[in-house]
Amino acid sequence: MASPVEIRAFMDLSSVFSSRNWPNPKTVDVAGQVSGAQLLELLALPAEMVEVIFVNGKAFTPENAMVCEGDRVALAPPGVPGPYRVLLGFKKMG
Amino acid sequence: MPKFIRIDMATKTVKTEECPEQYAGLAGRGLTSIFVSNEVKPSCHPLGKYNKLILAPGYLTGTSAANSGRLSCGAKSPLTGGIKESNTGGTFGQKMSKMDIKAMVFEGIPAEDKFYVVKVTMDGVTFDEAPAETIGMGNYEAIKVLQAKYGPKVGVAIIGPAGEMRLTAANISFADPQSNIRSAGRGGLGAVMGSKKIKAIVIDEAGAPGVTIANTDAFKSASKRFTNALVTHPVTGQGLPKYGTNVLVNILNEAGGLPTKNFRTGRNEWANNIGGETMAATIEARGGKTTHGCHAGCIIRCSQHYNDKEGKYLTSGFEYETVWALGANACVDDLDAIAYADREFDDVGVDSIETAVAVGVAMEAGIIPWGDAKAMLDLILEIRKGTPLGRILGCGAGAVGQMYGLTRVPVVKNQAIPAYDPRAVKGVGLTYATTPMGADHTAGYAVATNILKVGGFVDPLGKEGQVELSRNLQIATAAVDSTGMCLFVAFAILDIADGFNALVEMINARYNLSLTGDDVVALGKTILKAERDFNKRAGFTNAHDRLPEFFEEECAPHNVTWNFTDEEVDEVFNF
Repeated sequence: MASPVEIRAFMDLSSVFSSRNWPNPKTVDVAGQVSGAQLLELLALPAEMVEVIFVNGKAFTPENAMVCEGDRVALAPPGVPGPYRVLLGFKKMG
Repeated sequence: MPKFIRIDMATKTVKTEECPEQYAGLAGRGLTSIFVSNEVKPSCHPLGKYNKLILAPGYLTGTSAANSGRLSCGAKSPLTGGIKESNTGGTFGQKMSKMDIKAMVFEGIPAEDKFYVVKVTMDGVTFDEAPAETIGMGNYEAIKVLQAKYGPKVGVAIIGPAGEMRLTAANISFADPQSNIRSAGRGGLGAVMGSKKIKAIVIDEAGAPGVTIANTDAFKSASKRFTNALVTHPVTGQGLPKYGTNVLVNILNEAGGLPTKNFRTGRNEWANNIGGETMAATIEARGGKTTHGCHAGCIIRCSQHYNDKEGKYLTSGFEYETVWALGANACVDDLDAIAYADREFDDVGVDSIETAVAVGVAMEAGIIPWGDAKAMLDLILEIRKGTPLGRILGCGAGAVGQMYGLTRVPVVKNQAIPAYDPRAVKGVGLTYATTPMGADHTAGYAVATNILKVGGFVDPLGKEGQVELSRNLQIATAAVDSTGMCLFVAFAILDIADGFNALVEMINARYNLSLTGDDVVALGKTILKAERDFNKRAGFTNAHDRLPEFFEEECAPHNVTWNFTDEEVDEVFNF
């Protein structure tokens, strides 16, 4: 049996989860592999609300994220302080 | 002309002169560091008569520009033995600028064993014996005593009992607009002030001319664009005001870079209990303030008023690094206990990062159990009592490690490593290793799109691009630390290039200059070179730019190690 994806929501996204009476972390079943955009669609979250998707502790922009069953995922909205957006790989420089 | 005030505590004499030519174009960190490099004997004892303590507002401090309230403090550090710049909010720096005081320098040591209050007004500088009741008193009460005596709106710079004892983690505390406390925290500058027998400096701006602006129209225009960049950016307009810097707990935990149990692992299961989201909800439930500015004109307002369970004010400026050090690194899963500790750090007058990391080292030593909130608070209260153990703790993480024969001691140049594991966030690790300040996350904090030349994403777990990233972050930060702007403005500058341009244009409009972005980069380089040169003359070599060897161990969840060669680390300062 496939293990579900575990999804954490940070900052204002945690309020969105709680307003929908979702637990945080929330578990979601995915079939095989989904893209970051597909995951957000599954969660009915507008793309502009999410700057970065962490997949197993590594940061990806939603368009570059790929999520597989059993992954640990976290969603960060815009608003993470500046240098960390560079140091943690959120932000492309130059 | 801007005034440069030299105050000799040995003779109680004051020399007020026009700003010397070599310092005329400098302010903030640029001024304090180049002054220390020029005029402090590098081999001097930091608590001896040859050390000098300098306070200098930044280029824009005290102007109407948003977030322009910062003051830089500089000296030779008794903690690191190297150069130190530590900066703060509060009201003091803005008053200095309005009084057209470029810098105050405190020199010499009194022969007599008594503490003084140095009073600075438009009429000059005078010396009073410190009120007896303030000696040994916590900072919150002592500020009230001094503002009752000298006026409710005077600016106050003060040392607590830790500074009186000349402990090397002692800070200098500054009254904020509500007479609460902001701190020039790092590097033990409170011990330097204590060695000069200065309990407090009070500053009264009555009759001050105010800050002059050479080109008011250009200044207003640039200021408006700068403000716009701050309020429209999600970091400075939403993230920080709502959650404070503590927003980083969950982020760093997720990234595997939240050091836990004295840097044994980069992730724990209780991070959300101490994170910004939980903190904001707790503050709201108790009627506190989730947002508060540490100085007049702050529009980011990343501070807060954290109340206790009864709804009574407990602490503000409750920063990520303090919460991390006690909550994750010392495993105290209790936000209220951490808030009490934070208040005690402010009240007794110690750097909350240094001392909180020292608590983790004390747990490593077996002095108190991991995660024991009550034992933690009791241990911290030892500082105020001046017991041998309290003095060791108040001298920082390195002192505790040395006294107990430990090797797992997270320091560089004897200064505690803050809240980002260098194995999982490698760029900040290079900054910890190489900054002339000793391990300091804010030494590489500023990012500006038109300053950084680094291309592409940087993988935080890999080595590629990190040397250039750390170098450029340090250069940009040294420059921003000179502006008088809160370093957090750089969070917005990262994405909104016009914000950076507006910052430079405000400096130009104030002083009738024509600086470019390249000049700002050059200034950052000049500052770093002066700081490094001072350290070299104080006996530092590349061998001091190294992380403790326990970082060769793997760090979960990514199982990464600190794997830079010495040669690679040394490349950071190859400019």
